Amino acid sequence: MFKYILRKLLALIPKLLVMSVILFFALELLPGDALSRTMPPDQYQALSEAQKVAAREALGLNAPPVIRYFRWLNQIFHGDFGYSASTGQNIGTMLAGRLPYTIELSFYGLLLATAVGLLLGFLSAVMKNTIVDYFCTTISVFGISLPEFFFGIVFIILFSVQLKWLPSGGRMPVGAHGFFSRVPYLVLPVMTMAISLTAALVRYTKNSMMDVMGKDYIKTARSKGLRETTVSFKHAFRNSLIPTMTLIVMRLPRLVGGSAVIEMVFNYPGIGNMALTAVNAGDIPVVMITTMTTGVMVLLSSTLVDIVTAMLDPRIRLG
Amino acid sequence: MTIRKKTRNTSLAKRSWQKFIQNRMAILGLIGLVLIIAACLAAPLLTNYDPTLIDPSIRGLSPSREHLLGTDRLGRDIFARILYGGRWSIMIGVIAAMGANLLGAALGCIAGYYGGKVDSVLVSIQEMLSIFPGTLINMLCIGFMGKSVRNLLLIFTFTGWPGVMRIVRGRILSLKQEPYVESCRANGIGGMSIMFHHLLPNTLGPIIVNSTMNVAGYILSEAALSYLGLGVPDNVPTWGNIINAAKRLDIVQTLPMLWLAPAAAICLFVLSINFFGDGLRDALDPSSK
Repeated sequence: MFKYILRKLLALIPKLLVMSVILFFALELLPGDALSRTMPPDQYQALSEAQKVAAREALGLNAPPVIRYFRWLNQIFHGDFGYSASTGQNIGTMLAGRLPYTIELSFYGLLLATAVGLLLGFLSAVMKNTIVDYFCTTISVFGISLPEFFFGIVFIILFSVQLKWLPSGGRMPVGAHGFFSRVPYLVLPVMTMAISLTAALVRYTKNSMMDVMGKDYIKTARSKGLRETTVSFKHAFRNSLIPTMTLIVMRLPRLVGGSAVIEMVFNYPGIGNMALTAVNAGDIPVVMITTMTTGVMVLLSSTLVDIVTAMLDPRIRLG
Repeated sequence: MTIRKKTRNTSLAKRSWQKFIQNRMAILGLIGLVLIIAACLAAPLLTNYDPTLIDPSIRGLSPSREHLLGTDRLGRDIFARILYGGRWSIMIGVIAAMGANLLGAALGCIAGYYGGKVDSVLVSIQEMLSIFPGTLINMLCIGFMGKSVRNLLLIFTFTGWPGVMRIVRGRILSLKQEPYVESCRANGIGGMSIMFHHLLPNTLGPIIVNSTMNVAGYILSEAALSYLGLGVPDNVPTWGNIINAAKRLDIVQTLPMLWLAPAAAICLFVLSINFFGDGLRDALDPSSK
C-alpha cells in the first residue's frame, strides 16, 4: 500500500511540471509588458521609460526563457503569482483569499452528492421496479437535463424569497465570523452544486449494483444462506463502489468548474466568481492562474481518490 | 464478398432498428426531438414576431393571447425568441458535438493504432485537458478570442475531444488484435486505410451514442456560458442567452416566463436527447445485448 501511494505521488511531479511550463509560456505569449505583471499597476504607471528598462534588467526579464522559467517557478513556490492588471492586487493574495471558499463549497457539494447519490442508487437497485426505483430514476433524469443555475434560481425563489428561510447569496453576514454563521449561506449553493453529480451517481451506482448482483459470487453468498441485506450490503454494494469512484474522479473538474456558475447565481465570493470578474475586465493572467490552480486542485484530489479506491480494491494496488 | 457484407450489414441494422423501436422511452425521445426541431424550423409559421425586434411600448408583458409567453424587458416576444433561439442552441450543440467527436475519433484511431510514443503523447494531452474544469477553460478561451458563435464552436471542439478519444482508442486497441487486421496488413493495405476504412467503422456505434449525448452536454454548456454572459453575443437569441436577461432577482420574480420557458425548452430537448441516446446505446452496443 505504501509503495502504491508513493508511486501515485511521484507520478504527480511530471504532471505538475508540464502544467507549470504551459502556464509560464502562455503568460509569456500574452501581449503586453512582462514587467507590468511583476508589480502593482499604479507603481508600473509611475515608472519612466529609462526606469522600466533598468527594472527589466534588475529583475532579469531579459534573461533566456529557461532561466526565467526556473526563477518564476521559485516565485510560484513562494506564492508570488504577480499582480492583477485590473485590481492591482497580488494574484497570490487574491487566490489565497478566495480558494478556501471554493474548496469549502465543492467539498460539501461532493460530500452531499456522494451520500445522497450512493443511497438512492443503492435503493433503486435493491428495490428495482418499485415506486422507489421509479422515483429515484425520475429525479436523476431531471437532474442531468436541466442547467445547474436553473436549480439555483428555483432554490432562491423558493427558500429565500418565498419562505425566507435562507439568505439568497453572499458568504456570511457583515462582521460575523465562524463556521456557524456561514452555514445558512452554504446550504443553497451546496444543494445546487450537488444536484447534477447526485443525478449521475444514482444512475451509475444503480447500473453498477445490478452488474454486481448478477455475478456468481452473489449467488454463492445467497446459497450459503446469508441474509439478503448482508448480501446486498457487504458483497454487492462494496464491489459496486469501484466504478462509482471512477465517476467521481472524472467529475471533479466539473464540480470545481461548475462552481463558477453557481458562485455567480449565489454571489458567492469564490475563485469562479473571481475568474468571471477577471474575464470581464480582460485580465487574462488572473484567469489563467485561476484555471491552473483549479487544475492542480483536481489533480491532487483525484490522486487522493485513487488512493482511497486502492484501499477498497486490492486488485488495483497489486495490479 | 461485397454481397455477403451487404446482407450482414442490413440484418445488423435491422436488428438494431427493431431493438430501438421496442424501446418506448427511446421512441418518446425521438418524437420529442422531431417535434422540437420542427417547431424551431417552422418558427415563422408559428409566430409573427421578430425575435430581435425591440419594442419599448410592450415591455415586460405577462403571457396573453397576443404574446403567448409574454415579452421581455426590451419588449421582445419570448415565444418567438424561444423558437428562433432553439435554432441557434440546437445548431451550436450539433455542430460542436460533431466537431469534437470527429477530432476525438481521428485522434483516438491514431493513438490506438500506432501505439508507442504517438499514443503516450496523445494520451497525456488528453489527460492534461481533462484535468481542467470545462467552464473555466471555456471562460479563459472566450476571454482570449472574444464572444462569437464561431469562437464558441471552435472552443467546444478543441476542449471536447478527450471523451470520445478515450472511447475510440480503447476499442481500437482491442480491435487491432483481430485476425482481419492482420490479413489487411498481409495484403499490403496501408495504415491510413486500415485505420479509417477497416477499424473506425467498427467503433461507429459508441461514437454515434457519444455524439448524441454530447449535443445535450453542449446545449447545457452554452446555456451556462451565456448565463455568465460569456457565451454567444447578446444579439443572438439562444436558450441560454434568453435566461441571461433574468439575472437580477427582481426580474426573476416579475417575469418568471423569461427563465422558466427557456429552461423548460432546454429540459425537454435534453431529456429527449438523453432518452434517444440511451435507446441508441442499447440498440448499437454489442456488449449490452
